[in-house]
Amino acid sequence: MLKYHSYNIVFQEIPGEVTLAINLSNCPNGCKGCHSPYLQQNIGNVLTENVLEQFIAKYRNAITCVCFMGGDNDPYNVQQLAEFIRKKIDGELKTAWYSGKSKLPEYIDLNNFNFIKLGPYVEALGALDSPTTNQRFYNIVNRKLIDKTTLFQKRMNKINGYK
Amino acid sequence: METKIIKRDGKKETFSPEKIKNAIRKAFLSVGSVATEDVITNILCSVKITNGSTVEDIQNQVEIALMKEEYYDVAKSYMLYRQKHYEDREVRDKLQFLMDYSNAKNAATGSKFDANANVENKNIATLIGELPKSNFIRLNRRMLTDKLKEMYGKEVADQYINLLNNHYIYKNDETSLANYCASITMYPWLISGTASIGGNSKAPTNLKSFAGGFINMVFMVSSMLSGACATPEFLMYMNYFIGLEYGEDYYLNTNKIVDLSIKQRTMDKVITDYFEQIVYSINQPTGARNYQAVFWNISYYDRYYFDSLFGEFYFPNGTKPHWESLSWLQKRFMKWFNQERTKAILTFPVETMALLSENGEVKDKEYADFTAEMYAEGHSFFTYMSDHADSLSSCCRLRNEITDNGFSYTLGAGGVSTGSKSVLTINLNRCIQDASRKGVDYMSFLEEVVDLVHKAQVAYNENLKYLQEKGMLPLFDAGYINMSRQYLTIGVNGLVEAAESLGIEITDNPMYLAFVQQVLGLIEHYNKKYRSKDLMFNCEMIPAENVGVKHAKWDKRDGFKVNRDCYNSYFYIVEDDTVNIIDKFRLHGRDYIEHLTGGSALHLNLDEHLSQSQYRQLLRVAAQEGCNYFTFNIPNTVCNDCGHINKQNLNECPVCGSKNLDYLTRVIGYMKRVSNFSQERQIEASQRHYAKVSQL
Repeated sequence: MLKYHSYNIVFQEIPGEVTLAINLSNCPNGCKGCHSPYLQQNIGNVLTENVLEQFIAKYRNAITCVCFMGGDNDPYNVQQLAEFIRKKIDGELKTAWYSGKSKLPEYIDLNNFNFIKLGPYVEALGALDSPTTNQRFYNIVNRKLIDKTTLFQKRMNKINGYK
Repeated sequence: METKIIKRDGKKETFSPEKIKNAIRKAFLSVGSVATEDVITNILCSVKITNGSTVEDIQNQVEIALMKEEYYDVAKSYMLYRQKHYEDREVRDKLQFLMDYSNAKNAATGSKFDANANVENKNIATLIGELPKSNFIRLNRRMLTDKLKEMYGKEVADQYINLLNNHYIYKNDETSLANYCASITMYPWLISGTASIGGNSKAPTNLKSFAGGFINMVFMVSSMLSGACATPEFLMYMNYFIGLEYGEDYYLNTNKIVDLSIKQRTMDKVITDYFEQIVYSINQPTGARNYQAVFWNISYYDRYYFDSLFGEFYFPNGTKPHWESLSWLQKRFMKWFNQERTKAILTFPVETMALLSENGEVKDKEYADFTAEMYAEGHSFFTYMSDHADSLSSCCRLRNEITDNGFSYTLGAGGVSTGSKSVLTINLNRCIQDASRKGVDYMSFLEEVVDLVHKAQVAYNENLKYLQEKGMLPLFDAGYINMSRQYLTIGVNGLVEAAESLGIEITDNPMYLAFVQQVLGLIEHYNKKYRSKDLMFNCEMIPAENVGVKHAKWDKRDGFKVNRDCYNSYFYIVEDDTVNIIDKFRLHGRDYIEHLTGGSALHLNLDEHLSQSQYRQLLRVAAQEGCNYFTFNIPNTVCNDCGHINKQNLNECPVCGSKNLDYLTRVIGYMKRVSNFSQERQIEASQRHYAKVSQL
């Protein structure tokens, strides 16, 4: 079972997309220095297909992607919900998953996602936009993970790039 | 118990009969006679002093008593003595202001009336502009109340002053005599130069005389307006003159060397050198405007918008505007200006991209992509989007509906000449809370205020017509703008706060929408009711730099519920971080802005730039939601040590590593250093919620 704490419209998490990000609670990873430790608690309401459908209905024409932030306590459910978006809602809406695990369970069908982020947050190595990061951001094409982490590095280069 | 009277500075003091007696004695002495105790007692018999009497009131009574006792000479001398002291006090107050202003941190904070961040530095020239402001306010009020009295009777005139003094309404730009802002047609200038508006330059004949003449013309026009001057045809005319010089297809050969001097400049360089001349000249502080730069605005158009506006347009030589070359020039100017802004802080022109939408998408794909590209490159400008080419922005905040898209051989494209003659603003929060406090239906109370505001605007219009009859307004006479096509604008402020006071949740919900529709619908109803052949009204959510802060301060002081220090010009609460960017578009979407005929630009504050595809998607969102006027606001960083300007919002200078930084932002409509805004506005800007969305 997945529970969500809140949602937001985000731009930096999935490059190039206007993303509805759903912040899932009950995160089991407990990374040191986590940016939102409250998401480690058992808070919020249950994220059902019904609830998800309502969120999407509210923003359907405005967003290009839905991203599950967390959900490592029930990866099977994340996959189900992604599949639900794929099959029942609209094939054009992209799906993404920010997981804190380094590897996804074997049974996950990558085809349910367009983007996947993997890896726990390690304070000393930094987040995706840090050059030393352990985290990876992938674009998924034909069930293959294509590493696009450099998109985040490029963004930082751009910020510092007007030198 | 001793009687306390109130001194001029508002302090209380125990009443001393000796002081009056002395004053009377001196008055008698000044005409060569002596007042005996009996005489003085007689006079004092007619003077009634109670707790709370003011000095001014007591002196008025003494004057009357002296005349009643038939000491006319003495009374006259007493009056002259009072007048002299009054003048001394006024000079002393001005002197005090002069010192305070000189000591203030910046020009906007020092300004007593109408603080304005467009004044870059404070100096003797800006001080000269500040000193007569209080006189202008008195003069404007007197002119308006006299006219109101004449047209609607004394009661209405008194009610106007009453509402003004008690902050139910606010007269914008009361410190200037000129009408507010205008979008002009340049056709009269193209045909006959500046002679008709009092200048001596002939009609432009080539690119060089266009560039020089244009600058002069904008300065002249601006000196006769209190607000902005928009030239929506700037690039179209420039394109015409470039075409005359290098041929219509010049845009295909811009790398060609066309300057045979030692510099050997390419055509592109020649063109951008003219951009430079015009833009840098117009950003200079201007003598005729108290050292402010003129508020210059321009527009870009997509192909369809352009066709609607200028499809019937002919230049004096009988040719029509050439879209392909103009499109190149628009894009070139925008790219050039974006780059130039990393070299210098250039506030003007304020740019608006006008796009036509159709079925929830931008009709001209090429321009939609280009608009997104420019936002992604960090350029800061407004977008106006509509299903019809129905509006132009006349300044950084007002859009004005176009009533006529026709063409005439004397005035050119009729549609472009629009604007606002005067803005008079209703403080909705105070009106609605005060009605509730008194147990009155707020809509009936508001209706009284709305009606009065329209009467005041009609009276203003009469005064303006009088000035025109006397030949004081050549912009109208020469056809740059048109008396019956300029709007009278009803401003609103404190809408969110008013809704909050009624317990309405400020989100996209039926109750809030009904409230917005009800209040703005009432204003539109009156806009139509008062409309005539010569009078047009529109309604704007005002972003004025200081009014929002003043209203919040006054309302808080008088015990009204005020949840923030500044009433903003948005349909959402700025500090509410549960409102996401799409919610904001929706809250400025067609249902909410339906009656906001004068517009209100949605400023989307982001702390980082988005990518082109993301901006492109947001243009779709705007088209779908029917949000017609918006911009994206990402603070640019300026290093105070090395002068580096960066399009990003940084906390360390990427060149010299300094942390002594300032930020450029649109706190109101135009980009300025945050440190140039008044202190209250700086606080507001620092509390403003920049959507910080990254959870990486």
